[in-house]
Amino acid sequence: MTSELVDRVRDALRAVIDPELGENIVDLGFVYDITAEAGAVRITMTATTPGCPATGFLREGAQAAASTVSGVVSADVTMTFEPAWDPSYIEPAVRASLGFAAVN
Amino acid sequence: MIGTNLSRWTMTYFAAALAWLFVALGLLVAGVGYPAGDIASPDTLVLVHVICIGWLSLAMCGALFQFVPVLVAKPLFSDKCALPALALLTVGLLSLLGGFLCLGGRLPPTLWLLPLGAILLVVGFGLVVLDLGLTAWLRPIGPARFVLVGLASLCATMVLGAIFAFALAGWAGSVGGVVLASGIPLHAIAGLGGWLTLTAMGVSYRLLAMFMLAPDVDDRQSGVTLAVGAVAVAFAVASGALAIGLAAGLQIVLSIAGVLGIASAALYGRDVVGIFSNRKRRHLELNMRMATLSFASLAGVALLGIALVAFGAFLANVGAFAFLAIFGWLSGLVLAKLYKIVAFLTWLETYGPVMGRAPTPRVQDLVAEDRATKWFVIYYAAVWAGTAALLGGEPAALRVAAAAMTVCVVGIVHEIVRIRRLADVARPLRLPVGAVAPHLLFARK
Repeated sequence: MTSELVDRVRDALRAVIDPELGENIVDLGFVYDITAEAGAVRITMTATTPGCPATGFLREGAQAAASTVSGVVSADVTMTFEPAWDPSYIEPAVRASLGFAAVN
Repeated sequence: MIGTNLSRWTMTYFAAALAWLFVALGLLVAGVGYPAGDIASPDTLVLVHVICIGWLSLAMCGALFQFVPVLVAKPLFSDKCALPALALLTVGLLSLLGGFLCLGGRLPPTLWLLPLGAILLVVGFGLVVLDLGLTAWLRPIGPARFVLVGLASLCATMVLGAIFAFALAGWAGSVGGVVLASGIPLHAIAGLGGWLTLTAMGVSYRLLAMFMLAPDVDDRQSGVTLAVGAVAVAFAVASGALAIGLAAGLQIVLSIAGVLGIASAALYGRDVVGIFSNRKRRHLELNMRMATLSFASLAGVALLGIALVAFGAFLANVGAFAFLAIFGWLSGLVLAKLYKIVAFLTWLETYGPVMGRAPTPRVQDLVAEDRATKWFVIYYAAVWAGTAALLGGEPAALRVAAAAMTVCVVGIVHEIVRIRRLADVARPLRLPVGAVAPHLLFARK
């Protein structure tokens, strides 16, 4: 049940896109971790640039998207820049479509 | 600090700056000031200050109110300074221009407009310096150091400009007269070189790395670029002031400052090439492609300066040198970055609050690059043609080039207004439920 809730939250987070890259935060590898316990969801995520005005909107967007999932009682989103995001975290198919340089 | 707020008045600054750019281009097309008039004439003073304060400084201040918090990942020291500063700068510039028009006999003799304008500009820029300086000072690393040096240079520019304004009104005694007679190169170097160029360099490091997903330039490496540029400006102003006081050696001081300035531009070129070659996004958006034409113009400024000095023709062609620096390097970069910044901020303002609740477009869905490209390309071509016209002593050809630049800026501003109005966003995504269309001239709370 818990892992199913995590999967549904992960799907819901696909509604949140990085405005610059135009892809959702799950495929971009921004979402580092999702845990759920008795309907309380904790999401740990990142963004490309600390201090960027988009970062706050990404956090609020993730919280709003997670809160729409049935079974979620509370959604807590933590932003972290440790480790720093890297294009190698992007899903390979999306990475190719975004025209990224080959990454290690 | 995770994210910073949207700056409420950045769009207002951009709109005011673009209005002044049209005034400047109108003056060039009409043949007011240099090269039709003397380079030191009151009409040329009007033209230069419309460009440097009205257009470039207001655009730079508007951008800095948004981006200094991004550079230091801290909120702005105060949200309350931006609008009063814009009002003071606008009234101060109008008063200064009125004073210049009096000097030229185009208005009745009310020379007190000059010191009044200077005081208003000092207070207006003072608010900007305090707000941005105290913000950048919280974390003076990387590009924020460029901004701090730029703001210090702005202070030096203001002090010299205020002395000139009081001297022109006859209120500065014999010392003011001496400073006015020899100090104009120092005022120009501090303003164009220190304030506008070093600040543009600093902001560009962050913007280029951020939008191309390139690693930040190593702090020590950009620090050397900044140190050489800062020494060039500080040496020009401090040693230049001493040379003016001693009535000797100013040309030597300016020559040394020129060499240091060229070295700083070369180091900056090395840093920018590094950012481009290490970028992770291979595709270059329009603003980046056009920024490369500004970097080429900066290289052209350096080479032109070297060539003119080598042939002993610098003073006779300082107008062409300044024209390429102002319109090719600085104005081209500001226009290209405005195109991107307006789209990015408009996206954040409109779609940020509904993210996760409704489907949203990408930033690139707000722009129509294919349509905008021609305006930028022709703009740069017209600037380079205008520089050639000035070097060739063809004022009529410069006016034609300025007319072409004006048409292109109209085209670019039309594109920017379309971005702000979400005119190119496909219907289903344009205004999702809960989203509010942005105001053209300011960010809604």
